[in-house]
Amino acid sequence: MGNLMSTSFAPECTELKQKYDTCFNEWYSEKFLKGKGLHNECTDFWEDYRKCLDIHMKKQGIDNLLSEARSEAPFENGGKAVDDEDRK
Amino acid sequence: MVVYFRNRQTFSHDFETVTLAYFNRYPNPYAKHVKSIDTIDRHIDSDGRLHQTKIICKAGSLPQWVKPFLGRINTSWIVEKTIVDPKEKTMTTYNCNLDHTKLLRVEECTKYHYDREKNTTEFDSTVRFSSGFRKFGNLNVKDRIEDWSKAKFAEHSKSSRMGLKLVMESVRQKMAESIQSQRLKQKL
Repeated sequence: MGNLMSTSFAPECTELKQKYDTCFNEWYSEKFLKGKGLHNECTDFWEDYRKCLDIHMKKQGIDNLLSEARSEAPFENGGKAVDDEDRK
Repeated sequence: MVVYFRNRQTFSHDFETVTLAYFNRYPNPYAKHVKSIDTIDRHIDSDGRLHQTKIICKAGSLPQWVKPFLGRINTSWIVEKTIVDPKEKTMTTYNCNLDHTKLLRVEECTKYHYDREKNTTEFDSTVRFSSGFRKFGNLNVKDRIEDWSKAKFAEHSKSSRMGLKLVMESVRQKMAESIQSQRLKQKL
């Protein structure tokens, strides 16, 4: 969390992403971890950012990549590694 | 054959610093291959745990001998799921590549756990490498890919921890500055 912030895969969404991330970081440390806020307050930033992502994920076919990956069995099981024996 | 890699570590930082640094770990000088990171989903469950899904785009680097099978790969997409439990002070992360999964699937499960007595955060990660490749005659591509990627991962994980530590330092510094400015405001 230096002065530089990470960018979005779609340059068009980077500004919206950084606004959301800034809001998120503040909410996360000041409210969420302190047990003061169960609702993420960055909803407005989130919705603008998410709308932008939607458009560009479709354009670049990333949504297809995600849905294909979701249909395959994951390794993850509540954060625990699933052994190959358990997988069968 | 499927290959596993286990890695444990103790960070001398509190839970807030470690998790904030993790969420903001890019960009850092040790991760120049990371091009972007986006949050695509987030919600809080009925137990008050924060769930986030992110997608990360990395510039790919594959060994020469894979090229006959895949041609040139310039980028690779990774999905990351995180769950933060603010009461227990734990975070679990799950990372997996989204593309080229037939060639190689790398799945990493990590648990971060805050130790209140020591004021440290424990890191425990298991990585699973699996390739869908079969043997081509005498050439065991599958084992070779799995072994290569494990060695490469071990090498990379050192620099990714260096990057994370660097970001943790800057998070800690920022938090100290913000506490100080709040105190100053109160005095005024």
